[in-house]
Amino acid sequence: MAHGPAVTSLSPQTERNDPLIPTLLPLGDRAMLVRFSTGLSDTANRAAIGLARQLETDCPDGVEEIAPGLVSVLLRLSETADFGRLRGELMLRIGVESPDPPGAEHDIAIRFDGPDLDEVAERTRLARQDFIGHHNSRPLRVLATGFAPGFVYCGFHPQALIVPRREAVRPMVPAGTVLFAAGQTAIAATPVRTGWHVIGQTAFQNFDPAAQPPTRLRAGDTVRFMEAV
Amino acid sequence: MSAITITRAGPLATLQDTGRFGMLAHGVSASGPMDRRAFHAAGALLGTAAPTGIEFTSAGLAFTAEGPLRIGCAGGQFRVSVNGNPREWPARIGLNESDVVEITPGPSGNYGYLRFNLECDIAPVLGSRSTNLAVGLGGWKGRALHIGDRLSFVDHAAATAASPVAAPAPGDGPVRVLWGLHADLFETAVRAAFVRTAFVVSQNLDRMGVRLTDTAGIFRTRPRLMLVSDAIVPGDIQILGDGTPTVLMRDHQPTGGYPRIATIVSADLDRFAQMRPGTEVRFQPVSLEHAR
Repeated sequence: MAHGPAVTSLSPQTERNDPLIPTLLPLGDRAMLVRFSTGLSDTANRAAIGLARQLETDCPDGVEEIAPGLVSVLLRLSETADFGRLRGELMLRIGVESPDPPGAEHDIAIRFDGPDLDEVAERTRLARQDFIGHHNSRPLRVLATGFAPGFVYCGFHPQALIVPRREAVRPMVPAGTVLFAAGQTAIAATPVRTGWHVIGQTAFQNFDPAAQPPTRLRAGDTVRFMEAV
Repeated sequence: MSAITITRAGPLATLQDTGRFGMLAHGVSASGPMDRRAFHAAGALLGTAAPTGIEFTSAGLAFTAEGPLRIGCAGGQFRVSVNGNPREWPARIGLNESDVVEITPGPSGNYGYLRFNLECDIAPVLGSRSTNLAVGLGGWKGRALHIGDRLSFVDHAAATAASPVAAPAPGDGPVRVLWGLHADLFETAVRAAFVRTAFVVSQNLDRMGVRLTDTAGIFRTRPRLMLVSDAIVPGDIQILGDGTPTVLMRDHQPTGGYPRIATIVSADLDRFAQMRPGTEVRFQPVSLEHAR
């Protein structure tokens, strides 16, 4: 398989102390995106999760739905929402320092038997078992849910574990597939097409349409990965 | 109990209500009618329609009725007959036992709607009876309707009064857009060409997206950008890696990483959804104030 170019723009940046000033962008005429960064960064992700949590408890007029993303928060708006006023209200809230909101903790067991595991280990210059050890060595944050129902991005792995996505997209991988790329581990909760490396499988199910809420993992939660026995 | 049995259906006939809202944070987009205005118009014909209707495609639909049932049909221009007798389109029709309804394509439109005075007897999934074909969720077993499916109806307690009839669809002019999330990543010349150029609706269209043919090749030489995956809204026009412009529709992925140059304004998305393959489409950027 061809080795892709290094994806520098997707490398998590190091922690910064200066507060992030987000960009407020209309997304069509019925939504607004509060974007903290155009690149993936730990700070921007924390800011997005923090703002989403804050807005969920104190929702401005005209906002019908709040969905945190990797570095932004989507606000779906009512037909009569006033963009100008909302912009002002958001800027007031964004200026307020708030500590990381507490999240739930989850233990997730992975069977490391994916077809791309050896290649990923090789790219990180680690033996297979060492890669698994490094992968599980520290808890990760649920960065966002997106792309497909219950699909979660977890991060960030240290620089040494960053590999780019695959060049080719796999047609369909089943629910529970554990994916790895761009300094993150992702879990598919439904069958998806993916350009990420398939490193394993988990019995953890993050999407149940009969449950309310339908997902168990929430942006900001902590996940600890371990090897399934 | 009233019911209908499908005797002919195109590949994409689905049950839809207004949509499954509030689930974006769980990675589920809202689905709902491709042409909302027509969906509401079909309901308005009945005065009080049940929330769930059938969306059918240009392949049309046929079914046999059991028991008394009232239907409203609207959207595009289709031909409808009951027991072989043609009716006007749009139509309000009272059906009796064994009536056979045939809907066949007419001169325009991709989507038509059937609304009923009774509610489809299926369980809502995550608060909605809409079908999300992209992930096989909700509606009729998570899939499109097939020949032989028998849909039974129940009284609906919460009779939804007909929604106020929306303003008539704007005419044949350009489809209005707002510049998109990544518009600033496109060179000025490319943006200018995007506005100047006529695109063509391709054969490759479904509830997830409509691919456009970029005859002038304005996006052909675009460098590949690596973007952070971000929220998608219906009407977003994304440029795929091979340069194909694609308009994301009701069963869109909730997030995506392709650059989006513009977003069709909500008032024009219904009209765009009804454009058949081969139709020329031009985009006209407007201001947010104008779009609202």
